[in-house]
Amino acid sequence: MSLAGRSSSLTEVDDAISCVVDGATVGIGGAVTAGHPMALVRALARRGVRDLTVVAPTGGIEVDLLIAAGCVSRIVGSYVGIEAVAGVGPVYRSAIESGRVEVVDLDEAHCVAALRAAGQGLPFLPWRGGVGTAFPQLNPTLIEFDDPVRGEPLLAIPAIELDVALIYAEVSDCYGNAQPVGTGHMDALLGSAAKQVVIQVDRVVSTEEIRRNPEKTIYWPGSKVVKAPFGTHPYSNGWMTSDEQHLVDFVAAAKGGDETLSEYLRVHVLEPEDNDAYLETVGIRRISSLLI
Amino acid sequence: MEKPSINELFAVLLARDFHADDRTIMVGANMPMARAAAVMANVTTHPDARISIGLGVQGLGDGGDPPAVHPFLFDPRTMAAEALMFQGRVFDDMHSPDVFFVGGLQVDQRGNLNLFGIPDGEGGWKMRGPGSIALATMSAYCAGYYIVMPSHSTRTFVERVALISALGDATERARLKLPGGGIRMLLSPLGVFDFNDAGDMRLRSMHEGVTLEEVQEATGFELDVPDRVPVTPGPTDEEMQLLRERVDVYGTLA
Repeated sequence: MSLAGRSSSLTEVDDAISCVVDGATVGIGGAVTAGHPMALVRALARRGVRDLTVVAPTGGIEVDLLIAAGCVSRIVGSYVGIEAVAGVGPVYRSAIESGRVEVVDLDEAHCVAALRAAGQGLPFLPWRGGVGTAFPQLNPTLIEFDDPVRGEPLLAIPAIELDVALIYAEVSDCYGNAQPVGTGHMDALLGSAAKQVVIQVDRVVSTEEIRRNPEKTIYWPGSKVVKAPFGTHPYSNGWMTSDEQHLVDFVAAAKGGDETLSEYLRVHVLEPEDNDAYLETVGIRRISSLLI
Repeated sequence: MEKPSINELFAVLLARDFHADDRTIMVGANMPMARAAAVMANVTTHPDARISIGLGVQGLGDGGDPPAVHPFLFDPRTMAAEALMFQGRVFDDMHSPDVFFVGGLQVDQRGNLNLFGIPDGEGGWKMRGPGSIALATMSAYCAGYYIVMPSHSTRTFVERVALISALGDATERARLKLPGGGIRMLLSPLGVFDFNDAGDMRLRSMHEGVTLEEVQEATGFELDVPDRVPVTPGPTDEEMQLLRERVDVYGTLA
């Protein structure tokens, strides 16, 4: 028997996202204005994949960008917006109002329950929040039932199984031992609910560095790791704030009509061939000003 | 001192209203006035309360004392905290949150709130909102919650909301055995409201310069109006100084 080395998980972005095929159900990590894997999202939009079901538990402009690029037919989640910059994601809103995109409403806690059920291999998990609201009417997959233990009205939250989870972590080694910064949002739940995980990182570090904080490691067999420094821009990571001005400019472009939105997409998503080229469209001075 | 903005007034009114035994105050996205209220209370009346705002718990913001209110909830500076709020675990501890805050597109006479949007009656949407985030869950469980409405008109104060995101109706809450205590207070740019014993919305006070006719004209149902409606006591100079110089140092509420 001969000794063998471990396989590398490091992958170029376009190879990594080739697992996302037309019609796939894709979970995207991050929350509101933090930690979305934007480099992966921009690459996906550039590739022009179609008919995706996007599971964005608390989403931001990653949803707007994918809709604008024509990739999405259904959005599943509890929120799409940009806090004070835009109470509702502008492209998301117009696409739903025009009927181009379908929305499947969940409460934030339903997202946790649905992803956890998928990871646990269960058909559903029960939840109380949403009883007496419009949720079961808007989203008929949520089923009201009387719990068999105490007889109280509850909702059955069906599992959401993902084909692919796209998440961000600050670092990983080349074997897919990733370590998120801060709370990691619902990213670990998305990973456990998915058949395939793609992890965008700022830095690839040695396994020795990973071993210093093993309690932070998240890992799924066969995951792909893509290096994309500052790749959460215009959203924050652990040491870069959100780019409020960029978000304001995006919202203005989206609300300005098809022409201005197309121009944003051309400049920031479609023409830059990779994350470095995207960062050049933002500029080093802007990036530098966001570092805390 | 410059006149308080409406969000500064909201922050002060919320900070004053917390109960003495509130132990955990939790704030969601896009409610900087609630973040400011929680921090104000924490440095004055509620030093022992646990303040959970987005990513961090206590000692939030940029490490200052007290922490500052940033424009965005999910700001890396909020990780200068003594604990973190994990989105995947926060719903495992539903006995903990005493206080939560909600806003919405529409509120109705019974206190039900809509953040989904307005359906077109044919399976589509006339106006789509952002989604309900965690309103349904937090309003079901927390000991009490505050509604902050950024606008007050017959479009936002309606007899029945088109869709219920957070169930406020006290009768329905009791029937469905929801464990939480329900709505404590509702704030709008015109006044302060609560709910009478029958569960209908009642005018508690009107902000300075607002008339009863204005409130009634802007409300799409019959408000319970007591014989005497006081003027909302405005922020004191001390409250404004604390808010502007120590809590909202970036002027997010201005």
